[in-house]
Amino acid sequence: MPDRTFAPSRIWIYLVVSLIAAAWLAPLAVVVLNSLRTNEEIAQGSMIGWPQHLAWSNYAAAWSGFCVAETCAGIRPYMLNSALITIPATIFSTLLGAVAGYAVSLWRFRGDTWIYGIVTLGLFLPQQMRLLPWTIVLRDIGLINTLAGLVLIHTIQGLSFTTLFCRNYYVAIPHELIRAARIDGAGFFRIFWRIILPLSGPILIVTVIWQFTHIWNEFLYGVTFTTGQQQPVTAALIALSAAVADIPQHGVQSAAVIIAALPTLLIYLLGGKYFVRGLTAGAVK
Amino acid sequence: MSNAAAIRPGRPALPEWVRRLPEYLTIWVPLLLSAAHLVSFSLWTIWISFTPSTLIPVTGWVGLRNYTAVAASRNWQIAFDNLLLFGCAFVVLSAATGLILAILLDQRIRGENVLRSIFLYPLAVSFVVTGTVWSWLLNPGLGIQKLVHDLGWTSFRFDWLIDRDMAIWTIVIAAIWQSSGFAMALFLAGLRSVDADIIKAAQIDGAGPVRIYRRIILPSLWPITITVVVIQLQFAISTFDLVRALTNGGPGIATQLPALVVYDLMFQRSLLGRGAAAAVLMLLILLAVLLPYAAWRYLQRRRAAHA
Amino acid sequence: MPITTTRRRLLAGSVATLALPAFARAQGAVKPRLTAISQWSAGSDGAAITALGKKFEEKGGVWQHSPVPGFTTEMMNKLRAQIMAGDPPACSQLKGPEIAAWSKIAPTVDLDAVVAAAGYEKVVAPDLAKLHKPGGKWIALPLQIYSTNMLFLSKRAMDKAKADKIPLTWADFNDLAEKMKSGGVAFPIANGGTRPDDGQKFEAALAGISPLAYRAAIMNLEKKALEGPEIKAAFAQVRKIADWMDPNVGAQHFSTNLKRFVDGDMGMMIMGGWAQGVLRNAGFKFEDFTIAPGPSDNGKPVFLLNADAFIFWQRKEPDLQAGQTLMAQLVMDPAIQTMYSQITGSIPVRTDVDLSGEGWSEGQRTTAAALKNAIASNQAVLSMAHNMAQENGMTAAMIDVITEYVKNKTIKPEQAATRLAEAVEGAR
Repeated sequence: MPDRTFAPSRIWIYLVVSLIAAAWLAPLAVVVLNSLRTNEEIAQGSMIGWPQHLAWSNYAAAWSGFCVAETCAGIRPYMLNSALITIPATIFSTLLGAVAGYAVSLWRFRGDTWIYGIVTLGLFLPQQMRLLPWTIVLRDIGLINTLAGLVLIHTIQGLSFTTLFCRNYYVAIPHELIRAARIDGAGFFRIFWRIILPLSGPILIVTVIWQFTHIWNEFLYGVTFTTGQQQPVTAALIALSAAVADIPQHGVQSAAVIIAALPTLLIYLLGGKYFVRGLTAGAVK
Repeated sequence: MSNAAAIRPGRPALPEWVRRLPEYLTIWVPLLLSAAHLVSFSLWTIWISFTPSTLIPVTGWVGLRNYTAVAASRNWQIAFDNLLLFGCAFVVLSAATGLILAILLDQRIRGENVLRSIFLYPLAVSFVVTGTVWSWLLNPGLGIQKLVHDLGWTSFRFDWLIDRDMAIWTIVIAAIWQSSGFAMALFLAGLRSVDADIIKAAQIDGAGPVRIYRRIILPSLWPITITVVVIQLQFAISTFDLVRALTNGGPGIATQLPALVVYDLMFQRSLLGRGAAAAVLMLLILLAVLLPYAAWRYLQRRRAAHA
Repeated sequence: MPITTTRRRLLAGSVATLALPAFARAQGAVKPRLTAISQWSAGSDGAAITALGKKFEEKGGVWQHSPVPGFTTEMMNKLRAQIMAGDPPACSQLKGPEIAAWSKIAPTVDLDAVVAAAGYEKVVAPDLAKLHKPGGKWIALPLQIYSTNMLFLSKRAMDKAKADKIPLTWADFNDLAEKMKSGGVAFPIANGGTRPDDGQKFEAALAGISPLAYRAAIMNLEKKALEGPEIKAAFAQVRKIADWMDPNVGAQHFSTNLKRFVDGDMGMMIMGGWAQGVLRNAGFKFEDFTIAPGPSDNGKPVFLLNADAFIFWQRKEPDLQAGQTLMAQLVMDPAIQTMYSQITGSIPVRTDVDLSGEGWSEGQRTTAAALKNAIASNQAVLSMAHNMAQENGMTAAMIDVITEYVKNKTIKPEQAATRLAEAVEGAR
């Protein structure tokens, strides 16, 4: 691993890395700046510019003001809906994926390779293709227009990712550990609970981050399988951006984008370090 | 479903399979549900692709008519060509960007945490938002070009978004911005698991940094590179929301992509059968990518087993 | 063609509800309730549907509107899911030939009795009425009308061009655009870059050149008309228009450019009447622009009809049935249509509403007069770009060709005409 004595002209590294970082931050900066400019100001100038005076009212409008048809409550209620869908689905898909990954990697059973192969193929099946089959399934089990239906969809679809990454992580756990525990009489659940779960921190963080952001940002299922009052936050964002009968609301839209992205941004900020650490162990195999 | 090393307890009060039922259920139910939905949804789509379905699924048989119609349509041909270009450009460039970022971050620089967060945060943003924001930045009348003009350099041109030959590259830019953080994280993970002793030894032998990277570190990243490429290819093939928000397939139909065509046929044009045929063609493209990967993995594992 | 369980189940379930008298009797006995799906969530559309809901509630109803933000496609996804689940909304937004297409997949309400009671049939344009009674019976009700080829003229751009005459024919239009260009108007045409925007340019051109050719080629898909000289002429006119547009618009919506239009930086806009609602909501004044019928070479106005409508789906709940009756009555009510149109900038479906009073703009009066004249001279045709002339699949196939032509200046009008004919064949 390179260390401090390794590179002679380290100033270059800092220069390059800051330039790239600036480019990476530019879109965020533009959105933040626009969230503080009025619609009129943006319409007069360009989408990139300093606020002439800080229009905090955009945030008020975005949080609890703008209307989606009759409901003028801003983005707030939709945030709650998204949380109600995202949190349970993230927990379920992560836990079930961890168990499945554990079973496939350390508890080998007949047919495990096959079923594991099929499940991971799910990563590659396009969403648009699954919309109608899900409609039929939700209809048949009576979960259409319920948040439970969406939780079910995201849990089952999420298993592909969580199983894949947990399995790759657990493969690295020494089999002797498991064998010893079995000799001591520990069963499937006991080993999982006592040995595997305490070791799973890094990979669970990866799957939680991944699942949370994907489910939070999902739109297609979110609007198709809910009715007005249960729609996720992405629907409210689209309502602000696809204004066919309105002038562009770039200011409020930017503020809403920021608010809606806060939970996922926060998760990446707090968990970014563990994300890399978890991937180090999980994806490399 | 026997277990290789099951330990038989001294006093089996219940038959083995009953006692272990919760275990079987926990293992099998989620996996089976997941596998069943994937298999049945795929079979369903294949079936629909042979029916005359329009607004809703109907039975009937039209043979390959849906496939020939899709393959003959300009939209699909453009989408397919775009996928080749976009897929290659995006995968190569995002992997390269990710690798460069990872190498830079691996130089034990100050502020690594902050920098890593900066390169990772786009992953937290939804595709729709990414597409929308980049459609502002890249729009010559609203974004970067307008800004530069307003600053006085009026001959500056950056209008790829409205140039039908270059528009596909705007999608490459936005996609790289969004997802090379993931490639970076994977590469960083790989760099961090290179054996430090080998590097130490090479240093003692007097090898310079470039040589150490070329001879020791980069070759060891090979397996990770494959993982990155497969994940990014998967991303490229299923790119949908991003294009819809950024160009919506335009200018004209210059930035159509297969996922866009599938959605458009199925739901906008209400041609479910044709949309399903396009989806199946998409799956075939996916298989064309995945099968070589699976074969490679298989060979690798066989080799490892023999070694 | 046999149908799947989905539809069979739906049809079986609906047999019980086919008894119509129950539908009429239901009201009064229960509190009317209406479940509705539409994409109208923002701007003047959102405001108008909200106002309609308020009226519904004033009449003692329970209003359960579920807006599906985004494109029409997402609204249709939602509607399709509800229908496949055997739980369609009591009414939903749907328009044009899609009404006939969708009415085949789920049972709809026979509205003939309510329509007859309101004497509605004789105040609706016949071409429009036909779309809403595909099987001979009314199953859907139009709510408001737009013309997609209204010509918006920026006052400041007209001043720059030193012009005050409204162009009547395409030749006038082209003259004026040239004058604007030399008068310092940066872009004589204000435009958006969406697919319908491009489609509107073409339909305005073709219908203005020859409403007969438009009817034959676009509405009736006659092969000969599709290969006729008018199509090429229309594409040639579209090329002129495209050359006057700001190419930088990208895929942005037309409303992005409204300020430049009002400022006289852009001159003319070929857009539907909804632009008026948007302009007004954005705080611009009526003195800033003039609205006239789109260019027509034979001098008589051509009206490209676009009408929003509600379709009514069969439900067996008495409160929903009562709600459907109440909704139908409201939609046909001249006062409600007045309220709705005054919010969105459209004109009422009813031809007997007096637009001389307060609350109506000059643009709306012009539009209504244009409709009347166009109907009289058989020049009211159905808009292709807004899915009134053909089902979505056909429309999208046509717009593929048009939008590519608008954005790619190397395509010749003759080439585009050939491609259009091929696209129609391919989508048949």
